[in-house]
Amino acid sequence: MHAPIDAMLLRVPESARPAVSEALGETPTWVKLRRANAALERTEAGLRGPEVAVNLLASFNLEPIEPALRLGLQCIPCRPQLRIAPLNTIEQTLLDKGSPVYQESSLATVILWRIEELLPEVLLPFSSGGADVLKGQVELLWSRIERVCRAHRETGKSLLFVSTFPSPRVVSGLVLNSPSVPGPTSAVAELNRKLYELAASAPGIHVLDLNWWAGQEGASAFDPLMEHMARQPLSLRGALSLGLFVARHLRPLLVPRRKVLALDLDNTLWGGILGEDGIHHLKLGHDFPGNIFLRIQREARELKSQGVLLALLSKNDETEVRQAFRELPDMELKWEDFVSRRVNFNHKHESLREMAEELGLGIDSFAVLDDSDYEREQIRMFHPEVLVINQRSDPLHMLQALQSTDAFDAYAVTAEDRGRHREYELREMRRTQGRETNLEEFLRSLHLQATIESIHDGNVDRVVQMLSKTNQFNLTTRRHRLEELKALVAIPGSVSLTLRLSDKFGDQGIVGVLLAVPADDGRRLRIDSYLVSCRALGRGVEEFLWAELARQALDHKIHGILGEYIPTPKNGLAKGFYDKLGFTRVEENASMTRYLIEPLTPVEPPVWLASNGGQ
Amino acid sequence: MNAETDRLRDLLIEFFELPPDTMASDIVQERIAKWDSLAMVQLIAELQTVFGVEFDVDEIDRLTSCSQIGEALGRKGVKVSR
Repeated sequence: MHAPIDAMLLRVPESARPAVSEALGETPTWVKLRRANAALERTEAGLRGPEVAVNLLASFNLEPIEPALRLGLQCIPCRPQLRIAPLNTIEQTLLDKGSPVYQESSLATVILWRIEELLPEVLLPFSSGGADVLKGQVELLWSRIERVCRAHRETGKSLLFVSTFPSPRVVSGLVLNSPSVPGPTSAVAELNRKLYELAASAPGIHVLDLNWWAGQEGASAFDPLMEHMARQPLSLRGALSLGLFVARHLRPLLVPRRKVLALDLDNTLWGGILGEDGIHHLKLGHDFPGNIFLRIQREARELKSQGVLLALLSKNDETEVRQAFRELPDMELKWEDFVSRRVNFNHKHESLREMAEELGLGIDSFAVLDDSDYEREQIRMFHPEVLVINQRSDPLHMLQALQSTDAFDAYAVTAEDRGRHREYELREMRRTQGRETNLEEFLRSLHLQATIESIHDGNVDRVVQMLSKTNQFNLTTRRHRLEELKALVAIPGSVSLTLRLSDKFGDQGIVGVLLAVPADDGRRLRIDSYLVSCRALGRGVEEFLWAELARQALDHKIHGILGEYIPTPKNGLAKGFYDKLGFTRVEENASMTRYLIEPLTPVEPPVWLASNGGQ
Repeated sequence: MNAETDRLRDLLIEFFELPPDTMASDIVQERIAKWDSLAMVQLIAELQTVFGVEFDVDEIDRLTSCSQIGEALGRKGVKVSR
């Protein structure tokens, strides 16, 4: 399976876990799958995640494996409504602007296709006209694929996930056929390469690598009897695995990635115990088993490059640990790679809580890798919302758990992601420098600069990412997806602001977003979304955005501005913010407080924050 | 064959959501509305998984009742009674 099952089980409501566990176990059967689906569907809706519709289109018959696909999606967790298009109607459906795929809202559209159905001729190249004829057919097929993808991109409002073509399950005349051009394998390789290129150049289209999946699952995922009987090539095990695979690709639309990977040291980043074995007996390097620990370090460094923050969580003597980081020749990770470090003998659950506070993140942003059964159990008990990545202490198991976890899944790595580590380092420096000085004086000394831009194609991915991840200073916590956001920005008269912050230490990227849409026949604006990244709080970013909105609104002769505060378990920080800005409360209930400021007067931005051009 | 302890009968009862006291002799495709071609496809996968067998193509058409399935499994050396 493509994510550790134990971790997956923790996401589904407790009452359904035994049934789901059995269905995902060694020998899945349809009856077990049905029981698991039923157990989930019986559970209180609030525990099962959001209700979402998913369009599924395939060149093979999905109807018989619907329960497997549904179970996979339910484990995200969510309450899926599967809209399976009739067999092999991918083109008819997606080229028709009136099709339900376009008319009804959905989370995503998924296309699964195979060469066996779309171009069976390449499986039998010699009797199908030979190289020249087949070459033309492969080109024709590609133009059909491209047309379908573009049609969805133009008309569809949800993301499109397009599968690669799996290598054909069966190639007869293997030695003669597999290297022929175009033959069964080369045609697939050619089409897949083009699919990757298409997705890379077209926002809104993602590749679902069915070819990788099929190779990974091997022959046991397929059933030739089913293929001939039901036009559905998968075994029951294969169907279930495919359900989980599709679900993993859709999951980042619903669940934000974990922001921090907290790593233990002894028997996690190196083999052995520093305090007992001494630096020179630790196992780390190119020989077994030190090479496993080396690989764990490399995987962690890769995650760091993808914008995941690393934290060090070790019960050790800090002086000894610093020495080991300096002296061990094969350390891939450096002491400075960790944005937060707790190397002491305190309880790890307490250290985690401290680190969360230090970084200004929720404890549910953390994932932990630790070989100690005791520590993992303690963390699980005190902080059930922390993800414990590994289930056992064996180093190879830990490595594989880290490699297969879906905790850090994302569709793209933005420039902000890549630079995030550096920003937290700078934040730490600023904090140390900022001590014992007057706050305003300190802020002035940072030479803070704000660049305001509207939301456009070049920054919209970052804005969507912020909408999906910002919890604390977020007035409404509206998680708009790409297309929804674009539609709001496109409303005539709407004002969209992004704020890019820089200071003497460097560029922090976009840290604040404010989106206001026309209300009351255009006389007023209503603030739909207003959020500031927690790492930029306390520098006047939120006030600067407000001053800018007021300025633009006055330019457009807007009379008043409506604000909303929607409380969540995490955004207490933003409560009372509109009161502070001078808004009046016009309506108050448990789910929302509405505010109005009218008439509108010019607002001065914070004195320490300079405006740096922009629009 | 004792109907009360018949693994195959139990499987079919759960698979087609039949009343628990359904007699094996009553489990026949014509009498069970849910036993359509889609169910047939899943049933074959189910039987192959649960009993660890593979059916030959000419057996598929005959898997239309509890007793017929029992016979087919018997020929493959599977005892469906406990």
